[in-house]
Amino acid sequence: MAVPLRFRLNHEDVEVHLDDPAATLLDLLRGGLGLTGTKSGCAVGYCGACTVIVDGEAVPACLQMAGLLDGREVRTVEDLSGPGGLDPVQEAFVACAGMQCGFCTPGHVMAVRALLDKEPDPDEEQLRQTVDGNYCRCTGYVKILDSAREAVALERARAGEVR
Amino acid sequence: MSTAHVPAARTAGAPQAPAPELPPDRAVLPAVIGTAVQRVDAVEKVTGRAAYAADVRLPRMLHGAVVRSPHAHARIVSVDTSLAERLPGVHAVVTGADTARIKWGAFRPDLYPLALEKVRYVGDEIAAVAAVDVETARRAAELVRVEYEVLPAVLSLDEALAEGAPLVHDDAAGNLAHEFSFDRGGADAWFDRSDVIVEGVWQSTRQWHSSIETIGCTAEWSQDRVTLWVNTQTPFLARQRYATALGMPLRAVRVVQTEVGGGFGGKSGDDNTSVICAILARKAGRPVQLVNTREEEFLASRPRIPMRYHVRLGFTSDGLVTAKDIDMIADNGAYTGKAQAVLGAATVRHDALFNYRAVRARSRLVYTNLVPTGAFRGFGNPSADWAVGQAWDLAATRLGIEPPDLFLLNAVEAGSVSPHNHRIGSCELKQCIRRAAKAIGWYEKRAAPTPNRGLAMGVSVHVSGRRSFGDYDGSSAMVRLAEDGRAVVIVGEGEIGTGARTTLAQIAAAELGLPVADITVTRPDTDLTTHALGALASRVTYVAGNAVKRAAEHACEQLLAAAARQLDRPASELWVEDGVVHAPPAAGDDTPVQVPVGVVVRAELYRPDGQPIVGMGAFDNPSEFPDQSRFGNESGAYNFVAEAAEVEVDPATGAVTVLELAAAVDCGTVLNPPLAQGQVEGAIAQGLGMAITERFAWADGAPTRPSFTDYKLPTAGVMPKLHVEFADSYEPTGPYGAKGVGEIALDPVPSIVASAVADAVGVRVHELPITAEKIYWGIHDPDGRAREEGESR
Repeated sequence: MAVPLRFRLNHEDVEVHLDDPAATLLDLLRGGLGLTGTKSGCAVGYCGACTVIVDGEAVPACLQMAGLLDGREVRTVEDLSGPGGLDPVQEAFVACAGMQCGFCTPGHVMAVRALLDKEPDPDEEQLRQTVDGNYCRCTGYVKILDSAREAVALERARAGEVR
Repeated sequence: MSTAHVPAARTAGAPQAPAPELPPDRAVLPAVIGTAVQRVDAVEKVTGRAAYAADVRLPRMLHGAVVRSPHAHARIVSVDTSLAERLPGVHAVVTGADTARIKWGAFRPDLYPLALEKVRYVGDEIAAVAAVDVETARRAAELVRVEYEVLPAVLSLDEALAEGAPLVHDDAAGNLAHEFSFDRGGADAWFDRSDVIVEGVWQSTRQWHSSIETIGCTAEWSQDRVTLWVNTQTPFLARQRYATALGMPLRAVRVVQTEVGGGFGGKSGDDNTSVICAILARKAGRPVQLVNTREEEFLASRPRIPMRYHVRLGFTSDGLVTAKDIDMIADNGAYTGKAQAVLGAATVRHDALFNYRAVRARSRLVYTNLVPTGAFRGFGNPSADWAVGQAWDLAATRLGIEPPDLFLLNAVEAGSVSPHNHRIGSCELKQCIRRAAKAIGWYEKRAAPTPNRGLAMGVSVHVSGRRSFGDYDGSSAMVRLAEDGRAVVIVGEGEIGTGARTTLAQIAAAELGLPVADITVTRPDTDLTTHALGALASRVTYVAGNAVKRAAEHACEQLLAAAARQLDRPASELWVEDGVVHAPPAAGDDTPVQVPVGVVVRAELYRPDGQPIVGMGAFDNPSEFPDQSRFGNESGAYNFVAEAAEVEVDPATGAVTVLELAAAVDCGTVLNPPLAQGQVEGAIAQGLGMAITERFAWADGAPTRPSFTDYKLPTAGVMPKLHVEFADSYEPTGPYGAKGVGEIALDPVPSIVASAVADAVGVRVHELPITAEKIYWGIHDPDGRAREEGESR
């Protein structure tokens, strides 16, 4: 019997019915909800390709049981950009050539986004620790770190404009 | 950004006069060449909109799962699919009986789509299921009952080559899949005349591509024809092999490239996933998607070939190399794929680095009951450069010459010809050696050594395309100018993450005088695009770049001819800049003429007998198809690298930290600096994985836990400080002087890490990876378990 589940997804209330209460958030996003921006790389919480933000924390969606999400707030890469353009983190990855094949990119973008939400002015060590948590097989991380630094600068500039 | 197009022959008022000693297009490199043009796919990728293999969604699509052998070698007694077929949600179960029973493979057909009679490695495909969702398909796969008669297996090179060893394939006596040998220049005579001879045995190990996206396919049939949406690097070559495997005519298979989430050789169509997907979809009568799990990727993709080299090198007392002799055996695994071609590259390529007087080799490709191996970035050269590089490093020590100086003494130059007839065109190897030494601070660090720190250098040579799939390594392209002012570059090479579509767009933009934003480069579709060999052998920039350049030139000629007719002006007065056709003011007028490209294209169509503007261009690598002994100039352009590393070893634990790594690369003109840097940085990271971090514990012919939890890719935290530089270089046959850059920077990394460890603590590791344990025992028990082979005589 399907279990009803209500949570906030990308700033909207959603209600889904889970056939399998043990299904992961990753299965739910990519399957029933059709949000394929979140990628599956290992399914054991190791590579970071499926990183999403749940209640402000960057987490691997492959380890989140969907059935435990009731009432929680989930953000995926699809939430970052819209008619207003790209998120500063995305802009930074574009500007710094911070991707090659791009498969790990949404996960890296969400990890940096979560960091900046909690710490708008992270130091180099925090940036490195954040990037260190996600695999990339293409770049050697140099341009991902450049992107993370640029994201801080763009975020700061945008905050300045708002003020 | 200015995109001025100034075809010197046709343009009035072109400002520059080329310097006579330079190749004509070197003096006038367009502004869009050599600049940090933004990737054309960047926004799709950062937003998650790029659609990879598992993102394909078709109506009524089912999902597949594969039943794999748990045994390294067994006879299949029976396969019972009845329980699986009865599981609700299952639409098809297929076995070898549903296949055409045809063996396939790039060079030595030895692989069935689904095993018949025997399985030959842990992971070998036996049956597959299509069901409404992945979970149901996997549950059903577990319900397929296979009865085995387990057979004795050969689980290492030594077991496979032992007298009376069980045969992996009955038609391969001695478990030899392929072998060849040569003696060019008389090695024995040159060894006799050598003052110093070094020798040793070095072995590389399996390395998995570990693209973060696994291999995947979606198949849909329409009558007798199947369309495969695949994350393949080589859609046209894969299509040929898939058609063979399916027992169908080539025309019955269409391959469309999805976004590719990393390739590195692992997605070049030697595995069964797409074939099984097609067979499932045919039986189910519905589209099927089949995507490897990470575990399947480790068990049944085509990782790097472990190679064991016995190397001998001879030198004169003043450091001139005389002769080289290698005896190499390579672990093919259970099926052949591209390993046969890799064996060739791993035997001859590195002889294009130094001025050897004589080279001798014997190379054997050996079947084992282990996961089949194949192409991985570097194509055998990382293993060759590791083994031969270690011998060179030993020689430098024996000769008392610093490695950069020894390399400079022996390095090839432009105009050199290797013993295998590799004809070296542009070559800045010596410049690379000097620059890498300078960037790492070689002589300063030598002057003030730090305890437990070591320094090393290595060099490598790579191709820009390689003639190996028949006597053709060309590319062709069409450039269609659209009535909206854009250009569509129709080319079948594709994009696997390197930025190929961006650099090809830059080349077309430069030739056409359009902004890059107005260029669209197609994805490969075997029905719609030009034939292409795809992303392998560092070939796309060089080979396809030339083809696109010619097609764009051809389109531009037609555009200017059309504009000349429309404006009633000679074509020689016209030029294109930023998407606008320009002409000087007509006589008696002082207003310059400016017509948007799209207006010209539309006017050329909308008239009686209107014509489209479509340019065509082709280029074949100016290379030779090597013979059976691998004699022949395999590429028209060779790229070079010198890399230097500094490491620190903790003598208490053996742990090695790579502190700094400098790479100086000769890839001709750098078309897009961030993209070229990215190739070098990423290749170095993979080289560090091969050197240090990537390995499994094994039992019974398979990794004990085939997962990222055990197999450690390098993370940001293990990356050293990198210095990436590009040599001042120009390849006359390349597009705007460019050569390949995709693979080369990986090649020297394992060797320089090993040499730097030896320099730091005197321990020379002989089998990859270079683990703390091996170094620890080398320090604390130097005569015991960690050191194996005699190093020199």
